[in-house]
Amino acid sequence: MSEIKKIKNLKEFSTSADRFEGANLLCPGCAHSIIVREVLNATNDDLILSASTGCLEVCTAVYPYTSWDASWIHIGFENGSTAVAGAESMYNALKTKGRLKQPDRNPKFVSFAGDGASYDIGFQWISGCMERGHNIMHVVLDNEVYANTGGQRSSSTPIGSSATTSPSGSHSYGEKKNKKDMMSIMAAHHIPYVAQVAPNKWKDMVKKIQKGFAVDGPVFINAVSPCTTEWKFDPKDTMYLTDLSTDSLVFPLYEIIDGKELNITYRPKNVVPVEEYLAAQGRFKHLFKDQYKHMIKEWQDRVDSNWAYLQRREEAKV
Amino acid sequence: MAFDKMELKDIEVWDGNFAAAQAMRQCQIDVVAAYPITPSTPIVEGYAKFQSDNFIEGEYVMVESEHAAMSACIGAAAAGGRVATATSSQGFALMVETLYQASGMRLPIVLNVVNRALAAPLNVNGDHSDMYLGRDSGWIQFDAYCPQDAYDLNFIAFKVSEDHDVRLPAMVHQDGFMTSHTAQGVHTLTDDQGYGFVGEYKPMNDMLDFEHPVTHGVQTEEDWHFEHKARQHNDLMTKVMPKIQTAFDEFEKLSGRKYNIVEKYDTEDADVAVVCLGTSVETAREVAKEMRAKGIKAGVVGIRVIRPFPFFEIQEALKDLKSIATLDRSNPNGAPGMLFNEVAGCLFNTDTKVLLSGKVYGLGGRDLTKAHLVELFTELQANVDAGKLTTPQQQFIGVRGPKLSFL
Amino acid sequence: MANKGWDEFEIGAMLRTFDGSIDDIAGTAQEDRSYSESSSYRASVADWRLEKPVFNKDYCIDCQFCWIYCPDVSIIARDKKMIGVDMDHCKGCGICVEVCPTNPKSLLMFTEQADEESEIASWPSKDEEK
Repeated sequence: MSEIKKIKNLKEFSTSADRFEGANLLCPGCAHSIIVREVLNATNDDLILSASTGCLEVCTAVYPYTSWDASWIHIGFENGSTAVAGAESMYNALKTKGRLKQPDRNPKFVSFAGDGASYDIGFQWISGCMERGHNIMHVVLDNEVYANTGGQRSSSTPIGSSATTSPSGSHSYGEKKNKKDMMSIMAAHHIPYVAQVAPNKWKDMVKKIQKGFAVDGPVFINAVSPCTTEWKFDPKDTMYLTDLSTDSLVFPLYEIIDGKELNITYRPKNVVPVEEYLAAQGRFKHLFKDQYKHMIKEWQDRVDSNWAYLQRREEAKV
Repeated sequence: MAFDKMELKDIEVWDGNFAAAQAMRQCQIDVVAAYPITPSTPIVEGYAKFQSDNFIEGEYVMVESEHAAMSACIGAAAAGGRVATATSSQGFALMVETLYQASGMRLPIVLNVVNRALAAPLNVNGDHSDMYLGRDSGWIQFDAYCPQDAYDLNFIAFKVSEDHDVRLPAMVHQDGFMTSHTAQGVHTLTDDQGYGFVGEYKPMNDMLDFEHPVTHGVQTEEDWHFEHKARQHNDLMTKVMPKIQTAFDEFEKLSGRKYNIVEKYDTEDADVAVVCLGTSVETAREVAKEMRAKGIKAGVVGIRVIRPFPFFEIQEALKDLKSIATLDRSNPNGAPGMLFNEVAGCLFNTDTKVLLSGKVYGLGGRDLTKAHLVELFTELQANVDAGKLTTPQQQFIGVRGPKLSFL
Repeated sequence: MANKGWDEFEIGAMLRTFDGSIDDIAGTAQEDRSYSESSSYRASVADWRLEKPVFNKDYCIDCQFCWIYCPDVSIIARDKKMIGVDMDHCKGCGICVEVCPTNPKSLLMFTEQADEESEIASWPSKDEEK
């Protein structure tokens, strides 16, 4: 087992030598790369990475350039988790056979994928990897939409959001279904560690990533990734939107250990009304019209109810 | 934990599936990721049992679909080691997306394809629909006619696929049930001979070399994509056949068994011949011999390497014939048929005056009987006698109902 | 990289990040790594910017908020100190300015054409309302 990197504070964290490079093609203000940097910088161990097709993938490995300073693979939209699981299997085989070129390393195997590639098209592949117990971490860059292809709804798209395949209009408030509860589904695999993270709460996030790296077995991380392009806010406001998402409890930060023990890891001192979160984004703009205003109240009720549910689970230690 | 070697008799009675599983064991594969599907299931079952009994040191990952099987194989191959799997039919179809990824990323992977029909209607029996589905995927495709071939060609497939001048994945095809489930005598290699032939895996661009990080599976658009695809085609056209020939030669030295890129049987003085794949080659050889007793100079051309297609070898094999028929065991669905097209492509722009017709047969495991072939050779002789095709160019063999022919 | 012909690159569209071998990537600062011409580290997105951040070290408290929240690895922090902005990789999103907690801010956005020295010379003073 490798040593966990010591990160007492942000100053100490800032001595990390990044293994993800700029001059990638992600939009200015994209939260994906903030998340990726926090994950990669959480360890000094070697990394074997994959990305499923999506914004991160198409923007960081466009021939003849790569933005990755560790070995990285992309196969398709659905199978990034399995790609890195295959690499992990090869690592185990070569370790057994004594054929690793650098046998003294402790590589971490990480798969990055969007919500579309995780909640929808890659769902089965991820479930398979979790069930088989690969020593990998799957990180969802959850921007609640197919951003790479121009903003189509995914099963992570929340109710009332206007996406190009669930647009708001004179007779529609947009997306009709609420977001899939991927955290619970993954926890139901009884894998060692499942956590929701947000890059604004970097200390919470890095701690969870390090916990994930330390356990033996599959890890699922859901990271909120505000999308300047599809959520429709100014690129400079990415961290403001992330703050709103965590402090309104729309994205509560918690972890589930072994599928059995839920811990809330962040309790905002001042909980922000969900209305503020919605109002900051163009994708919810139509909800503020008279005909759809009832949705805002429903949103608040749903978030309150979910928060109450998480607290009940935490108290009951289930 | 050290693994055990297995003592084999010089000749074992194995079906094609078990022969393939044994070859995989002897090649000491690092990662097998697989999903079972009829009729290839016994390959992965056999391999699993080898692992349970400590004959396998590598990893064996039983995944949740064929797509995941090939996805894991790609990840494992890119990580840097020997990789193989097996599938059939619908599973092969589900894999297709990743087949193109494997070859485009130039990853050596051996895929045993136990050929089976494609639905609908659903069918578990042998035909070449899945084989044909893979023909543009950029893989090398070897074709076994019997369990012995299925065994031997696995060693050859690893050897060629992993060669650093090749680095292309390879399929070893065998006919569902007719080969995969028919036990025959198979001459074996010892474990040391088998592994010695394929040799230790030599990594290239391996992700697990932490001192040389690599990026695999990039995006290329209109400014780069064509060059990469052209490179792949170039290497298939120019680099693969010489390596296959060398591997065949070395394998003959080791085993005494000789394989050829195109297998010719009784063609030297022949007037008529059929060009075919799989178990049909063996049936056709038997009938051709019988036709010779009846005064028809018949021969058989079996294709051993389907991709890259052996254009020059086919030209050479067919140039002095007078009438030939290609046997396609896959529904052409609105075209003459893959073998017909490829053979016609070989012969076009040559001086040959050979008469070419195409037959579609055996779909969904329908038997190709000796009687069918007797009729076919007789028909080919009639073409020779008439100096022209005496039948429509495309005919279905063995289907019930009014005679079905086109073109 | 120049547009090479089909026979001039490595098979499989594989890219290498570094020239030669690198032992401890996480322990090697970017300036000490030998990036290959395929690394986007050696590319520039400076022409994406309409506005650029200007860094005034007089007010900086080295909190490193700008470092951690920069999506483009463009805040150069060494030995726990904020040194400056990597203008080849900065896309001008403005996150660093938004998260800067000092008063006045140590980073401010200016038009791409603005002269850095004169902007620092005329830096706004403390905002009493904050």
